[in-house]
Amino acid sequence: MTRRVRIGLTLAVLGVLAGVTPGVAYAQESQFGITGLGTPGRTESVRARSTGGAFAQFDSLSFLTEASLVNIGSLTATASINTSNRDLEYPAFNTWLRTTRFPSFTLAGPVAGVFLGGGFSNYLDRTYSVVTRDSMILRGTMQPYYDQITSDGGVSDVHLGAGFRLGRALSIGFGVHLLPGSTKESATRLFDDSATYSAVHQIAQVRYEGYGLQASALLNLGRALSISVYGRDDSHLNQYVGDTLTNTTELPKTVGAALMWRPSGKFRLAGSATLSTWSEAFSTASNTVNWSAGLEIGRTSPVRLGVRGGQLPFGPNGTTPTEWGASLGTGRQFAHGHGALDLGVERLERTGEGLTEQVWSVFFGLSVRP
Amino acid sequence: MGRALPWLAALAFAACTDKIAAPGDCPAFCPSGTLSVVDTVLPMAVYNDSAFGRPIGYVNPFNSLTLLAEALPGLRDSRPIFRTTKLLLRLPLSTDTTTSPVIGIDSIYLRLAILRRDTAAHHLAISLYKMPLSIDSNTTFAQLVGPFTDSLIRSVNVDSLIALPGRRNATGDSVLVDSLNQRIILLMRLDSADLPIDTPDSGAVALGIRVAADTLASIAIGSSENVGTGPLLSWYLRVDSLGRATAHRLQTRSPAFDGFVYDPPAPALDGNLTVGGVPSARSILRVVFPRIISDSSRLIRATLELVPAVAPQGIKADSFGIAAHATVTDFGAKSPIDLNHVDTTGVQIGMTDTVKVEVTRLMRFWIGDSLAPNTMVLRQTGEGGNFAEIRFYSSRDPAHRPLLRLTYSNPFPFGKP
Repeated sequence: MTRRVRIGLTLAVLGVLAGVTPGVAYAQESQFGITGLGTPGRTESVRARSTGGAFAQFDSLSFLTEASLVNIGSLTATASINTSNRDLEYPAFNTWLRTTRFPSFTLAGPVAGVFLGGGFSNYLDRTYSVVTRDSMILRGTMQPYYDQITSDGGVSDVHLGAGFRLGRALSIGFGVHLLPGSTKESATRLFDDSATYSAVHQIAQVRYEGYGLQASALLNLGRALSISVYGRDDSHLNQYVGDTLTNTTELPKTVGAALMWRPSGKFRLAGSATLSTWSEAFSTASNTVNWSAGLEIGRTSPVRLGVRGGQLPFGPNGTTPTEWGASLGTGRQFAHGHGALDLGVERLERTGEGLTEQVWSVFFGLSVRP
Repeated sequence: MGRALPWLAALAFAACTDKIAAPGDCPAFCPSGTLSVVDTVLPMAVYNDSAFGRPIGYVNPFNSLTLLAEALPGLRDSRPIFRTTKLLLRLPLSTDTTTSPVIGIDSIYLRLAILRRDTAAHHLAISLYKMPLSIDSNTTFAQLVGPFTDSLIRSVNVDSLIALPGRRNATGDSVLVDSLNQRIILLMRLDSADLPIDTPDSGAVALGIRVAADTLASIAIGSSENVGTGPLLSWYLRVDSLGRATAHRLQTRSPAFDGFVYDPPAPALDGNLTVGGVPSARSILRVVFPRIISDSSRLIRATLELVPAVAPQGIKADSFGIAAHATVTDFGAKSPIDLNHVDTTGVQIGMTDTVKVEVTRLMRFWIGDSLAPNTMVLRQTGEGGNFAEIRFYSSRDPAHRPLLRLTYSNPFPFGKP
């Protein structure tokens, strides 16, 4: 890869970053998040996503843990795009939804013996548009109407962190999470008798603020086995309309652990588990446990497989929806390893009281090492 | 991979079409917040309301767009009158400045445009009377009783003319029925015996019109203020051509003054809110509304409810519309009305029910423009073209005062999960 090409690719990735402010970074939405704070996002690169998320704690481009930054090698930038199609199966009707998002960006590399990283991903997605049909008595007459409540946006996770090697086997990392975000929300009522009753259309820009702290460790037990642990404590989420604080919600603590086995250079197998204390956030929310397992076969054009399962924090009537999924992906390095393209496909099924979501997602990622 | 990259990029962009709207299965999968709608009556919203327009109205007979001719026994008698300008009694025969005297009249045609008639009226007849040239805007019905009794020039039965083949009678009168514009053009043929050129007056004439029918004799004739529809006298004149063949010339004359006289006179204003009539009256209302609806997006419906104190009198054809205007500024009786922000409603003759004017557009304008005075002017549509008027109780009558009924939504609880 020539220097000119490398600079061009770097600018392309940074261009994606410039066009994607933290306030519009998303992951997959879910109708289960409507009644709560939203749908928690995933801090995973396309590579990690293709392995069900199992590789995320070891993947420096996922930047889920700061300790994993020690594997970055050189300055690297990565960005991704994903498209999701959701089939919603309610007891009374079915429908489908489709979204395209830029879920994450990471820029990381070694600086003076310390491995620094920064980027953003989705923390909570609050994009939905719900249309309901009802009627009310106005001036003695029943007036049917449609209501549409829409929210577009979410809370992003701007992550800044550093990883340090403490000898050959142990690495540690510390990070700060800033949780900015905004949603453009609207509430609209359209009366059937629109000639008499004007439509109501109220809009607001809701702003979010929060932060969190994280620590992580990565232990290599020989050349084949690695263990990663991390803990994260998010403070609280403030919601503002204009300059008025409208709500404060506690945010969860999260702990996670993962294990990776590398019997050879062309085969990697990993598993992970994560616990989040979402019940602290919301009276009707549940703590969640999520797990994943995945493998990667090959080096220059690897094949990736993964499965995942777990729970969602927000469900109707305080119930806890569950999800499971399977993913498949591949990647390709080019320009002598200075660039990499990753492609993944994921099938998710979320099941809760009164709703089943079937999700197909396609991910596309671009990484550049100038 | 390099070849696949453009395809992957194209696929990604092709997929960039979101569909995020879905039917809601509530309350399980809907946001906790909902739009709440309030319907309330504001009894004290209208204050400082008054009527203006008598004895001098906003539109008077002399500047009305229509000349009202009515013969409704026991109710009203109204007679249009008009006066034309003088004729030129010397006319040029060619392009030079030499003029020759008018030596006679071939014929005279009077064109009248009937803009409104009650279709239930039969045998509609129009009679033309000669009036004194002294008529003007101060002339009263009583002053013209004499001329309207003994100065009849011609009568034409309009319905009979319409029924004739070619719509023309033997004396040369004709009608043109303009169904597109819903008007009847009447051409009355007169001669020198009907309207001799009176040298001292140089051909200036004053005419009066009476209308008759089996019943419901009520028509509106276009006035000179109503461009293209006013009375028009066409004089076909003979001019001396110095011994050769007689020259023929046409002179047309529009009214220098037109109006109508009527009996009984319009009743004086009282403490109620009068709208309409002749001279036309307007009512001005000041409105105050709560700050809760200061966001125009929340206002769903606003209705001004007015209780009639006196039901409108007349025939069915006199039913009229009421327009509620915003004002450019509040100068009391002389407040200029805002023609762009107006709401309307209809009023039937004899109705005693509450009149409801939907003023949503008006209220939204006020909400959107905080500098606009919250002053409303009620006026009759087609002011000055209808004797019927309605009188509403004002805010000084606690039991029947005007009410403002509002339907609005409360603020949506944004920013709360």
